[in-house]
Amino acid sequence: MNPHHHSSYLNPNSLKSRFTKNFLRSLIKINKQTPFPCRPTEMFQRCHKVKTAADKSLACAVGSRRVWSRAMLCKIRNRALRRGPQKPPSVRRIIINNRTMKKGFNCLKEKMNDDQEAGIDQTSKLRKLVPGGEAMDLCNLLDEAAHYIKCLNTQVQEIHDAERIESLGKD
Amino acid sequence: MEMGDKDKFELEKRSDNHINYHSPDSMPSDWRYSSANVANSSLGLVSTDNQMPVCRGDLVGVSSCSSASMVDSFSPGQWDHPTNSQYLGFCDISVQNNASTSNPMGIRKGGPASLRTGLDKTLDIGWNPPSSMLKGGIFLPTAPGVLPQSLSQFPEDSAFIERAASGLKSLSVVQGQKNVMNMGDSSRDTSLSVEHVAIEGSPLKNEKKSGSLVRSHDEAKQGVGGSGNESEEAEFSGGGRQDKPSKLEGNGGEQSAKSPASKKRKRNGQDADLDQAKGTQQSVEAAKDNPEVQQKGDENPTSTPIKATGKQCKLGSQASDPPKEEYIHVRARRGQATNSHSLAERVRREKISERMKFLQDLVPGCSKVTGKAVMLDEIINYVQSLQRQVEFLSMKLATVNPRLDFNTEGLLAKDILHSRAVSSSTLAFSAEVPMVYPPFNASQPGFIQASFPGMESHSDMLRRAINSQLTPMTGGFKETTQLPNAWDDELHNVVQMGYVTCAPQDSQDINGSLPPGHMKAEL
Repeated sequence: MNPHHHSSYLNPNSLKSRFTKNFLRSLIKINKQTPFPCRPTEMFQRCHKVKTAADKSLACAVGSRRVWSRAMLCKIRNRALRRGPQKPPSVRRIIINNRTMKKGFNCLKEKMNDDQEAGIDQTSKLRKLVPGGEAMDLCNLLDEAAHYIKCLNTQVQEIHDAERIESLGKD
Repeated sequence: MEMGDKDKFELEKRSDNHINYHSPDSMPSDWRYSSANVANSSLGLVSTDNQMPVCRGDLVGVSSCSSASMVDSFSPGQWDHPTNSQYLGFCDISVQNNASTSNPMGIRKGGPASLRTGLDKTLDIGWNPPSSMLKGGIFLPTAPGVLPQSLSQFPEDSAFIERAASGLKSLSVVQGQKNVMNMGDSSRDTSLSVEHVAIEGSPLKNEKKSGSLVRSHDEAKQGVGGSGNESEEAEFSGGGRQDKPSKLEGNGGEQSAKSPASKKRKRNGQDADLDQAKGTQQSVEAAKDNPEVQQKGDENPTSTPIKATGKQCKLGSQASDPPKEEYIHVRARRGQATNSHSLAERVRREKISERMKFLQDLVPGCSKVTGKAVMLDEIINYVQSLQRQVEFLSMKLATVNPRLDFNTEGLLAKDILHSRAVSSSTLAFSAEVPMVYPPFNASQPGFIQASFPGMESHSDMLRRAINSQLTPMTGGFKETTQLPNAWDDELHNVVQMGYVTCAPQDSQDINGSLPPGHMKAEL
């Protein structure tokens, strides 16, 4: 697997490099915005920001190619909007919403079959785990889940590396 | 004969043609033979179907004969001409019809499968070859442009033409691949074969050669002209997928629809995979195949046609599913229900199991798991653990005081470099993560000291070296799902790491990592 990863890393356009770029940039921004906090509330906010940044940069790296990435971006933007009078997200969010909704309606019938086939609990659990999974039939859901797992793996690796570097440099 | 000319035709063709299929020359004789059998003049139509312009002439000749005499008109010479498409079309038909006799894939054109199936049905009567031939011939001139012209020339012997057209189509469609398969299958129903032929012709042309029978059904109806086009196209496409196996109702217009169906059949023959074609289509095809039957013109997915299809499919389908095009052509396997709903269900289930297998590879430790429920559970656990990992790591990252110099590029480079080392650790989802994943950089103590204060790659290397020490701590991180307690350990590690000011100077063993110089180069 190493060689595979290796090549994907060296590829400037690979998912990993895209994600890393986005993530690091957002980390820098966060650090600028919030100087290293001392108070727990600030720390909490910071943690949350970092987590959101990680998710968002992953979704952006994937782009709109996948249902789950679109759903995740949509969710993040909605959350940001709801958060308050901060910088409003782009209008794209609305479009994403519509797409998701439409898909949901169409897949309703299939979803019922899916549940019977594979176990209602599990399917619903999977749907909740995978962003945007509510609106997909089992077939697509499995597809998206597979891609999502791949991307999550990438994300974990990258964050882990970054964290290690950071922690090392912190001393 | 109920089968109609087509049946006879097919039957004859089968018997004779199988040998001849292989060579165009031989074909004529077969054709001749079959044509003789065919009482209809539709034979002429058959020949014209083929894409070849010659076919046109043949068809014309054929069509001119409105009776058995027409058969004669199919003089070998005529047959010779349409060797290409016509033959193919015919071959398919006959092949199918003969199923047993041979599969001279001479007529490779259409999906033989579809033809065959149709032909087979008709062949039973022994007329298959003729009928199939008719169809094939008609379809042969599948070239969309050609066919119409050729067909228009013949007298309208609708029944005959239809049959011939369907037969031709299937022949043409088969293009040889299916033919072989179909041949075997076709022995079954002459009526179906006819339909298949028709259908196959069209589907092939269109795109998919799913060889569904539906097409033949339509083709028969539409007459030679319609089906011919389809078959021609199918032939031309040579394996192109036929369009959706929509039922082709009516003439001409539906040819393409038919062709998908017939193509399906043919394809199935080739693929040896009889998925279930749409039930309706099948029925349609079946119905169409038999001119007599078709005359009624309904393509409903009656049980008979479907069954025939199923049987035929069975022969072809033994194996893999045909590639799925816009319309999923599925052939019913032997002993399986051919209801359209169950067919679709089966396809869907296969898709799902395919994906489950893929997921099995992704999720570590799931190779032995069987069953969807357990597999899904594993997947859910894995996704949950990954998400928790991300959360935990990002929290860790947030708590770490960022370096003053947030060198993005450096970080990226480090990440890239790290990935090599880390990938091994992250891969070790299972518990036994070897504690030491030696950093790939050959950081020596010297490096560490030299680069300690800086943020350049040297420092990166230094960090990596230090990280290697930490790897053991973080290595367990990957085992989250299996060791929930590891989370607590990790937390401790985080805290410890925060306080680690000086990592041991000794660099751990490094596995083949690039020397620092290399790393820089990568930057």
